[in-house]
Amino acid sequence: MIKVNDLKKKFVKQKNKKEKMEFYAVNGVSFEANEGEIVGILGPNGAGKTTLLRMVAGIMNPTSGDVQFDDMNYKKDEIKIKKSLAYLSGNTKIYNSISPYELLRMCAEFYEVKKDEIDNRIQEISRILEMDKFLYSRIGNLSTGQTQRVNIARCLIHDPKYYILDEATSGLDIISSQIILDFIKSEKKKGKCVLYSTHYMEEAENICDRVIMINHGNIIKEGTPDEIRKATKTSNLRDAFFALIGSDNNEE
Amino acid sequence: MKSNVFNILKKEIREIFRDKKSLSMMLIIPIMIPVLILGMSALFQSQMSKSGDDYNKIGFAYDLSSEEETLVNDMNIEAVCGSEDELRSKLDSSDIYLYVTKEDNNYVLNTNVGSESGGYATSLMKSYYANYKTLLQEEALTNIGQDANQILNIITLEVNDLGENNFYSMYIVGYAFLFIMMAITVSATYPATDTTAGEKERGTLETLLTFPIKSRDIIVGKLLGVTISSIITGVLSLVLALISFEVANNQFTIYETAPITISGLSIVMSVIVIIAYSIFISGLCIAIASMCKTFKEAQSALTPLTFVAFFPGMIAFMVGIKSTAILSIIPFLNFSLVFNDISNGIINYMDILLMFVSTIVYIAIIIYCIIKQYRSEKVLF
Repeated sequence: MIKVNDLKKKFVKQKNKKEKMEFYAVNGVSFEANEGEIVGILGPNGAGKTTLLRMVAGIMNPTSGDVQFDDMNYKKDEIKIKKSLAYLSGNTKIYNSISPYELLRMCAEFYEVKKDEIDNRIQEISRILEMDKFLYSRIGNLSTGQTQRVNIARCLIHDPKYYILDEATSGLDIISSQIILDFIKSEKKKGKCVLYSTHYMEEAENICDRVIMINHGNIIKEGTPDEIRKATKTSNLRDAFFALIGSDNNEE
Repeated sequence: MKSNVFNILKKEIREIFRDKKSLSMMLIIPIMIPVLILGMSALFQSQMSKSGDDYNKIGFAYDLSSEEETLVNDMNIEAVCGSEDELRSKLDSSDIYLYVTKEDNNYVLNTNVGSESGGYATSLMKSYYANYKTLLQEEALTNIGQDANQILNIITLEVNDLGENNFYSMYIVGYAFLFIMMAITVSATYPATDTTAGEKERGTLETLLTFPIKSRDIIVGKLLGVTISSIITGVLSLVLALISFEVANNQFTIYETAPITISGLSIVMSVIVIIAYSIFISGLCIAIASMCKTFKEAQSALTPLTFVAFFPGMIAFMVGIKSTAILSIIPFLNFSLVFNDISNGIINYMDILLMFVSTIVYIAIIIYCIIKQYRSEKVLF
């Protein structure tokens, strides 16, 4: 289980030449995500989704609050937590000068996968994600979709318990997006806990068990897609979102 | 918990050796060393021969005696006779480098003594008139029945050169070592920038930070990768310098009397200094580049390091500063001074030890600062 407790992140930005301005990108967010559950984090650009997930993934330090993974937290068990989670964003970049095989081997070594299991694991993942044709090509020469498949393979190599996926389908064609969505669903079936941020409402409606809508760093609604639709008296999450934020709108 | 230093090092080495720019920086820069050594030797040689051959066009504003004509031929002087005005005009147009006027027994050398040509010509003519004076003195003494040889050579003087190196060989070796330091600095700059600001710009640093790796392991692995690349440059530069010294000894007459010699111990000590300097400069480059947001920004920030690496040593070399215990702990200067000692054939173990220990202390401080930076998200944004 991932438990996020009153998480806040303050940034300072330059208002003008002399003045600086403090603002909270994430302002007291709390929620839980359980095993076998896909929790969608929805919100417009600038809502605080990426900052929130970066803090959950341990890339960013919160200003206050904490994140618990079962009985572990970052202060005491940073390496243990990172061993059991996989973080993937639409902007996640991987090393261009190496092949997917070399990357997966490197990641397996970082995650301390047993040496005699590494090759079998790479071959298995390569078969599932249909990477055989480009397993030994340089990543720099692959298409965007193929690169994202390599990225998914990177996440699978250590068989993590938790997935943190930040707009993982952003900018991909429908085939590549579908591969990622299928992968998320199959991991859910295996009992994995998935945090999935997107601004594609239809996508969230399709795969998420629960949805957390955030805007300006605050949770504005939380529940199953059905519950949110009923509460907002709308027929889909897109309309529900607009109903919730009203005139206080960014771009979707 | 297993250390991931070796895994990070493997990744860094793979990236450095697959990146054409890093590879060319590492391997091509040392090629400049032979160019420098052989080029400077050729320049010195041409300067040496110039003094005798190129500045021997001398004007005489009086008629040469038969003794002087013989002396002019013996000393390979190209005599140009004419009036004072004509010779002045030829001096102005650089057809001659000096002209001599005479009034009774007083000879006046007219030239621009401050210029290179005037200086050489003055030196030549001072020697000429010293010989002419001796010739006239011998004649005068012989005419009055005296033994000219006994009187004129009442004492004799010889110079016994006990120095192992001459000016040129010391100069060449000193500058070669400074250039090796510069090559190491330039070589460290590119991979250090690429592995820090470059990774940040390409977005792979965020990926790296999601792995279960301690910040310490990431930094030490990166530092070792850049250090190995710098050591390769340094050792390659040293090997090429030693080969160039041999070539220079055989090709240039300026090294005939005192050839460039580097002992086996000096070579070993040079390798130690190269290793220490490579660790130091790699750490410094990584620390500076880590604070930059883009590759370009990091390159701009690291450019002054090349000059910082070169100038303290160059100034110390020109002024003749000798290595001391205090100076052995001053970064940059300590490496240059130890190299300078080695080029003079001096191995001061205490100074080398102080240099090495102080480098370890500096590098520990640098690593601590970078680890602190990598523990916060500041390293990403």
